[in-house]
Amino acid sequence: MRFALAWSSLRRHSTRTLLATLGVAVAAAMLLDMVMMSTGLRESFRELLLSRGFQLRLAPKGTLPFDTDATIENTSAIVATLRSNPNIVTVSAVLGGTIHIPVGDRVVTSAALGIDPRVQGDYELLSGKDPLGPDEIAGNDDFLRATGARMGDTLDVATGYDPQLRTYAGSRKLVVTGRVRFLYGAANQLATAMQLATLQEMGGPDRRDDASLFMMKVRSDSEVEPTRTWIERTIPGVSAISTSSALAQVDQRLSYFRQLAIILGTVSLFVGFLLVTTLMTVSVNERISEITVMRALGVSRAHVVQQIVLEGIFITVGGAIAGLGLGLLTARYLNSILSSFPGLPVAIDFFLFQPKAAWMALGLLSLSGIAAGVYPSYRAASLPIATTLRQEAIA
Amino acid sequence: MLIRIAAALLLLQQPSNRTIAIDERLAEDARIAIGDRLVVSARPGASGGDTVIVSAIVKRGADPADIARSEYQVRMHLDQLQKVVGYGDRVDRFAVATRGPAATERAVSDINAAAFGFRAHRSRDIAVGTSRTFQVVSRFHKAIGVITIVASAIFLLCIMLLKVEERRRDVAALRLMGISRATVVRGIVAEAALLALIGCGLGVGVGWVSSQFINWYYQGVYRTPLYFSLITTPIVTLAVGLSLVLGIGAGLLASLRLVRTPPLTLFGR
Repeated sequence: MRFALAWSSLRRHSTRTLLATLGVAVAAAMLLDMVMMSTGLRESFRELLLSRGFQLRLAPKGTLPFDTDATIENTSAIVATLRSNPNIVTVSAVLGGTIHIPVGDRVVTSAALGIDPRVQGDYELLSGKDPLGPDEIAGNDDFLRATGARMGDTLDVATGYDPQLRTYAGSRKLVVTGRVRFLYGAANQLATAMQLATLQEMGGPDRRDDASLFMMKVRSDSEVEPTRTWIERTIPGVSAISTSSALAQVDQRLSYFRQLAIILGTVSLFVGFLLVTTLMTVSVNERISEITVMRALGVSRAHVVQQIVLEGIFITVGGAIAGLGLGLLTARYLNSILSSFPGLPVAIDFFLFQPKAAWMALGLLSLSGIAAGVYPSYRAASLPIATTLRQEAIA
Repeated sequence: MLIRIAAALLLLQQPSNRTIAIDERLAEDARIAIGDRLVVSARPGASGGDTVIVSAIVKRGADPADIARSEYQVRMHLDQLQKVVGYGDRVDRFAVATRGPAATERAVSDINAAAFGFRAHRSRDIAVGTSRTFQVVSRFHKAIGVITIVASAIFLLCIMLLKVEERRRDVAALRLMGISRATVVRGIVAEAALLALIGCGLGVGVGWVSSQFINWYYQGVYRTPLYFSLITTPIVTLAVGLSLVLGIGAGLLASLRLVRTPPLTLFGR
């Protein structure tokens, strides 16, 4: 009965109901987007960092991995030191660099990673095989497209380009053995992987034992922090970064987006609440005589309140459901804008749909819808019946 | 006199320390003051390095490219930096001042025609290339702005509709008294415009206060003199214009709907 009365009351003012539902839908969409943004980037980055099980990273002191061109010297000694710690299960040293490949009358420039393919955590193999030999190279689709190379092709690969003399410091012939996807690669970025020793040799004497980054797997999560402290104490000149400290750095750098999400999310919630409250207040004021007559006929106060609150819930839930679809669509569009950040890994999503967060957002909105209807309905249902009927008759 | 000459000779024999300028962020964090001696090296923890004297603490420029990077900046003499980082007699770039736009075009084409191993770029082109991050942020803000405008438009339309609907009996009375439909519509639209104008005034005020707060907060967070929020005349004009158009449009729609309903129906008869 209450449902039927609430529904017919909403249908009586169809334009108003439609507009209010639409307003709530936009507010819900915005709220959902902002909830997705406030948690998405962090969660997406965390998933990416832990995707290969490396819980610790070592970068040159005071820097984040690949944040600058700085490198760490004496890689072999550092690897030996790290392996002496029984808590460290795997050590993967990575050197970053730039390589140049002459193709016809042009030169293709690409990022290169020197890695140990057996323990690497930077790419996933799509076809072919890992560059296990010293004269082998694997590239991503953008690289293979730019060079026109296929599996088994041999490329002249050079490093250390001197623009004044137009010469290269190191040059090698490398065979393309694999097609890979780099986990941390940016959109349209040309990237390759080869043996660490190969890239070190190509970099000349200065880079013979250098690495840009070390990635480590630790026996258990509880050992991460003690191991990190041990590394910082034992190896000078490096910063040991755990997943949580890397996330904290990212949080600090991108705090703007999180704060924007919180502010806009709160505003959306408030707007949705305000919209339903205004609608319910006006609707109740319009129906004072109707409500009073119902009360005079013996309909209980609770019944009246429930019917009006139900109207608010219908509008809010209807708007929230429409807003869910609208929010997912707009999130995809906004994500496509932010994904074009220069240098941002393709795998990072600013807007990540997490059911828990989505339900929380929509639950909050529904609660605000209920709250919006409670006060005006209670006020209307509490009016003195006889006086109100008399006033309405005079009016 | 003899003592003065001896002191001068002693100074000549000592290696003269070069001076550097550091940015205020580094000075504050590392508690470095003018006159302090520092050892600079290209690699962290490397032995040796050059001892330098801090001669100046400089204010950071309002460069958006630095915003998300918590880097420190040090300015050194070119030859000293080349020596410290083992860069030989090389530089990353030359900045060239020209006499005007025409001279710039000539210089760019002359250098590119004659130079071997490097290219000349206009500062404007470099600025475009390096500001991609901010173009992305700007596009994002515009998209959020469009969503906000859509939400505001619906909200405004809804509120205006409700406001006008509240006046059903007034409008019915006016119509029964012989007031024309056009007069009623004009009256309601004028009221909507006034309401929108008052809202605009309040909105500009709230926007200005928010803008001040945003600048104060983010300048502190990122330690930069950069302005994060600017309220300009075109922005205020756009916001006020849009609100007025939306307010008047909503008022017009709602009033037209009302005056088309027979007065007795509006009375509920």
